[in-house]
Amino acid sequence: MSLPSLLVSWTRLKASAVWRSVFRHGYDDTRRNRLLQTSSNVFLHLHPTTTPASGLRFAYTWGLGGLSLLLFVVLTLTGVLLMFYYVPDTRRAYDDMKDIEHVVPFGQFLRNLHRWAAHAMVITVWLHMLRVFLTSSYKPPREFNWVVGVVLLVLTLLLSFSGYLLPWDQIAFWAITVGTNMATATPFLGAEGPFSLVTYDNDLRFLILGSRFVGQSALLRFYVLHCLALPLAAAVFMAVHFWRVRKDKFSAKAAPPPGGVVAATIAEPVADGPASAGPEGPRPERAAPAARQVDVWPHLVAIEFLAMLVALVALQAWSLWVDAPLEDIATPTSTPNPAKAPWYFLGLQEMLVYFDPWIAGVVLPGLIIAGLILLPYLDPNPAGVGLYTLRRRRYAVSAFLFGFFLWVGLILVGQFFRGPGWIWYWPWESWEVHKPVYERTWNFPWPLGLAAMAGYVGLGLYVPWRLRPEVFRTIGRGQYVTLMLLVLGMLALPIKMVLRLALDVHYVLVTPWFRI
Amino acid sequence: MAHDEPGRSRPAGPAAEGGPGAAAGTLWMPRRDWLARVTWWSFLGSLTAMSAASVRMLFPRVTFDPPPTFKAGYPDEYAVGEVSERWKRRYRVWVVRTTEGFFALSAKCTHLGCTPNWIETEAKFKCPCHGSGFDPSGVNFEGPAPRPLERFRIVLADDGQLLVDRSRSFRQEAGEWDRLDAFLRLAGRRT
Repeated sequence: MSLPSLLVSWTRLKASAVWRSVFRHGYDDTRRNRLLQTSSNVFLHLHPTTTPASGLRFAYTWGLGGLSLLLFVVLTLTGVLLMFYYVPDTRRAYDDMKDIEHVVPFGQFLRNLHRWAAHAMVITVWLHMLRVFLTSSYKPPREFNWVVGVVLLVLTLLLSFSGYLLPWDQIAFWAITVGTNMATATPFLGAEGPFSLVTYDNDLRFLILGSRFVGQSALLRFYVLHCLALPLAAAVFMAVHFWRVRKDKFSAKAAPPPGGVVAATIAEPVADGPASAGPEGPRPERAAPAARQVDVWPHLVAIEFLAMLVALVALQAWSLWVDAPLEDIATPTSTPNPAKAPWYFLGLQEMLVYFDPWIAGVVLPGLIIAGLILLPYLDPNPAGVGLYTLRRRRYAVSAFLFGFFLWVGLILVGQFFRGPGWIWYWPWESWEVHKPVYERTWNFPWPLGLAAMAGYVGLGLYVPWRLRPEVFRTIGRGQYVTLMLLVLGMLALPIKMVLRLALDVHYVLVTPWFRI
Repeated sequence: MAHDEPGRSRPAGPAAEGGPGAAAGTLWMPRRDWLARVTWWSFLGSLTAMSAASVRMLFPRVTFDPPPTFKAGYPDEYAVGEVSERWKRRYRVWVVRTTEGFFALSAKCTHLGCTPNWIETEAKFKCPCHGSGFDPSGVNFEGPAPRPLERFRIVLADDGQLLVDRSRSFRQEAGEWDRLDAFLRLAGRRT
């Protein structure tokens, strides 16, 4: 066939009824096709057709939300493949892992991809949250989408946690044993928690494990949660999340006048007409000096594609280079020393040194999640939406960064400074050196402890109100008390750490029912 | 106006003013309201029943765990003062022989359930997870463990062997270590 006749067939094919039933518009670079490209494509229509040019700056979003989605897709695909070779049976799960590593073609590589993508997703979701906080993108009208985001963060961590048991190796078994024993310490609903209403045979841990021990029923439950229930829940919440992002538009604001650099980021002049040309029609109140709009196709889609490409190549390279760890087969009677949780839960494990499990494992994580959910409703300051600014939101940013880096610090301590027996080892010290430690801890007598607690909460509520009334009276009394209790809860952790490490204080308050 | 359909406020006219059941033929509440109420309560009822059943279904009646008792050999197989690790790998129990007798110590840390290690040179049980330490009797003295290790029921079986029952545990802080089967009195001589 000659070239001209090929071209004729090609043209004829594209004119055919079948082709046009699949692709409803042409590919020529016209304004109409650009808009149709997003609006008539089920996947791309999660985008609006146009978006403010300032939202495309990579240094604004860092592409973190999109990368989290990409990693979720990678995890789904590799996870489905791994499921073909894995049976959640305690008698063979570990052997299946060995088969995947040594027998299944590319099994090791796919497992590496799955494991490292999971770790990467925890990081991108965290950083995405940090970015959204720093650019005030949780402020009206986006408060509820922040809440959905917090739910997605929790789901990401639960997915990691449930997946951790499946290899049925030592670290899997012990991480889940420790993790689910914290459920036993839950107030009211745990058999060993304060004010317990239940026994070992019907408490929260029993619900999670389907038994009193980590065994077959626990493996099956975690498998079903990991492969089915949690991904489905995540997909539903993601749909809501993306939908609202699209409806609320990007939060990014055009950079302030002196920094004219930003406008030059998109080199191509925009002949797309005024901002109000979007499909939703003109909006009078936005029409004024609204951010310059560009077409999502090709500008945003191209950036997303590039970010996806770089991330995928990096992930694959890493997975070719580094193998996902697999320890000895799970053995209930021998705990590895030290038994470390996956790194993203080491902050939790480090907190367990300073507090009883019901506080470190239940109350404090609950407060962190509650605080994150409530955050958009407790911050009345409207400043900074779409900008990285510290100056205009000094209190909010410092409080959030303090909590964020406290968490990162705890993880670093747990990862690099804890050795056998969870004793402090410097990174350059050998774990072979045995360190006998004899703590001599003491407790506050209860009247002193009660006074200390009451004083801490009372002064913590009173002093800021008194010192900076102009700041704190911008919110209602109930909001103020909630906010300060959350902040005091956060500060209680470093305070207790100092009390323990410097003064050997075990408990600040000892009561017959619980100890703090 | 458009919502003023017939049937919503029957009977129309002055008789309706009389309140529920005032006049003959008056309904207790407008029929549509009644239907709406029944519908909503049925919906909530079935939802509640379904949720309750689903949650209850997650708590199995029977679990397939290994049998709780085992025979731990004859008393003279243990040296006085010994913390025996013989049964730890299989049953997660230390059998401790003192001059007065025996007790069976659960090898499960009371902090978060890891398996501690017996460190002979320091005469203590040390948990690898969070550093809790217990003395040879099982009492916690360092680290985050909130209470002593639990002891299991230990008795002599008919054949003269030690019998450990892991389904019955005794807690020191509840004063249960003084109970009958928490400690097997059987004087031994130091060899």
